[in-house]
Amino acid sequence: MSDQKPEFILKDLQGAAHHFDGTGPALVCFVKEDCETCNIAGPVLQTLSQAYGDAVRFLVPGQSGEKNADFAQRHGLTMPVLEDAGCKTSFSWDFEIVPALYWIDESGAVVTHFEGFVRDDWQALSDQMASATGKAAAQVDWDSLPAWRPGCGSKHFDPEVYDALRAEAEGSRLRARKVEVASGDDMAEFMFDQGFSDGLPLVPPTPERVIRMLEGTHRDPQDVIATVPPNMGPATVEKIAINAVMAGCKPEYLPVVIAAVEAVCTDEFNIHGVTATTMGAATVMVVNGPIVDKIGLNGGLGALGAGNRANATIGRALRLIIRNVGGATTGGVERSVLGNPMKYTMCFAENEERSPWEPLHVERGFKAEDSVVTVFAMTGGPVHLVDQTSRRPDQIAGSLGQGLEGVFLPKMHNLPIDALLVVCPEHINTLTVDGPYSKDRLRDRIQQVTARPLSEMVQDDHSGAGIPVADAERMGPEKLAQLAPKFAGKEYIHIVVAGGDAGKFSSAFHGWATGEVGSISVSRKIDLG
Amino acid sequence: MHDTVWFEIQGIPSVSIASSVFGQAAETQRKALGMEGARYVLVPHPIQDATDDEMRAKAREAFDQIIGALRDA
Repeated sequence: MSDQKPEFILKDLQGAAHHFDGTGPALVCFVKEDCETCNIAGPVLQTLSQAYGDAVRFLVPGQSGEKNADFAQRHGLTMPVLEDAGCKTSFSWDFEIVPALYWIDESGAVVTHFEGFVRDDWQALSDQMASATGKAAAQVDWDSLPAWRPGCGSKHFDPEVYDALRAEAEGSRLRARKVEVASGDDMAEFMFDQGFSDGLPLVPPTPERVIRMLEGTHRDPQDVIATVPPNMGPATVEKIAINAVMAGCKPEYLPVVIAAVEAVCTDEFNIHGVTATTMGAATVMVVNGPIVDKIGLNGGLGALGAGNRANATIGRALRLIIRNVGGATTGGVERSVLGNPMKYTMCFAENEERSPWEPLHVERGFKAEDSVVTVFAMTGGPVHLVDQTSRRPDQIAGSLGQGLEGVFLPKMHNLPIDALLVVCPEHINTLTVDGPYSKDRLRDRIQQVTARPLSEMVQDDHSGAGIPVADAERMGPEKLAQLAPKFAGKEYIHIVVAGGDAGKFSSAFHGWATGEVGSISVSRKIDLG
Repeated sequence: MHDTVWFEIQGIPSVSIASSVFGQAAETQRKALGMEGARYVLVPHPIQDATDDEMRAKAREAFDQIIGALRDA
């Protein structure tokens, strides 16, 4: 019991400042007005102060604001009762229970410290003080006092108070510039005015909220996760957390957002191009693995929106990071001709339970027990694929293929462009009615039913898109009779399962440019520490 | 603009060329990259559907501006 306690300057009830410089002899006792045990200790403190107050400095920091005066009056306290505003001193002294008593000697060593009320401890303290000061022992009627009372949790541990204290304390984990908001300003309007918003209201990223958000990851707040285009802003864990707060995330979502930032900021994914393209691409996030159930991501009914907090806010957080850390704002480097509602958010889980196939992340080389986020750059979707009557596997597979004809334009084939097909459970039922139907077989079927002769793809009066007439003439009739499927290779067709149990409606997302000139989908394991 | 800024940092004079609707994007980007003097030349929009001859005409019109911008280095 020798570690020194931090100094403080606190004001008493009359407003006079009292400086405790770390040394005694002093008796410091933290109290809370509405704590029953503190009210047992109150009269004892007064009696001790009368007995030893000439030789020992008594200081009683109160945690109860205006009610500190009630406490002092109730017990007739004559020693300084101090205002521990915001419990900052309580936090820095680092105790858990009030009353928290410290007897400190001349050198600043803590001779005695206890929390709560154990009568024997207090009596022993009185004896110790009598002997140390050479004063007569305080006249306390010890037998009238309870032998033991547990005390109350210190107010600085109230969640609101504690997170604020941690955020502001010396050694705080936060480094971001603090933006002061005038008391007369409407916070929601202020945040719009600052340009932080995607157009929807934001949750103010107060230090308390950011500190709580950071509890969601084991990563250091100052770890740089990625450099975010177009302005190459460093996305620290802290910056990601701030945007996750603004988006409305819970702390347990943060690891997913971090993994998504890592994934989109790779050269393969090319978030710069995805954001800047006039074509209007957006990130579609698919989450797999145990984290889905753990944090309540939705891969079932209504998976593609709306109404689920995890889906909505994780996707939104990623977008806010690209905007606020990367600097991609509409009218600046973001040049989408029409925009795209997926630029607000698009994140969902795969319905692994209803899938007959290995989950997307396992297909991509991860372990089933890994939690993984996969990002796709998509320009369109979700586009409904309606077939309520097919009964045979090849029929439903054929319909899903025909449904993908719309990628770019129905006329365009042989596209080196991704599509993300989201097959609903009822269509899965039909696909597998006769037994297993592999993903590859579905891909082959899509390519088979979409195959058209090249002659149908020549520029004409109906559409100037496609093969230039001069090229077609050079190709000749034999070449033009060759069939071209929708996709340049079946590997461009990505397939997941999602949706509720009722409804024979699958869906598709249409890609942006795929490959080195565009974007390649990326999967990243979610770091759960 | 990223490429132009990169070249300039290496000491190699550079100019970006874009179609006319991308002036605002070029302004935003060069400012964000901290090189407000990074040069760009705009050619008439659009280019996606332009024929080769139309593209040659745009290039001819822009040629003096491009050389001029490089000479201003």
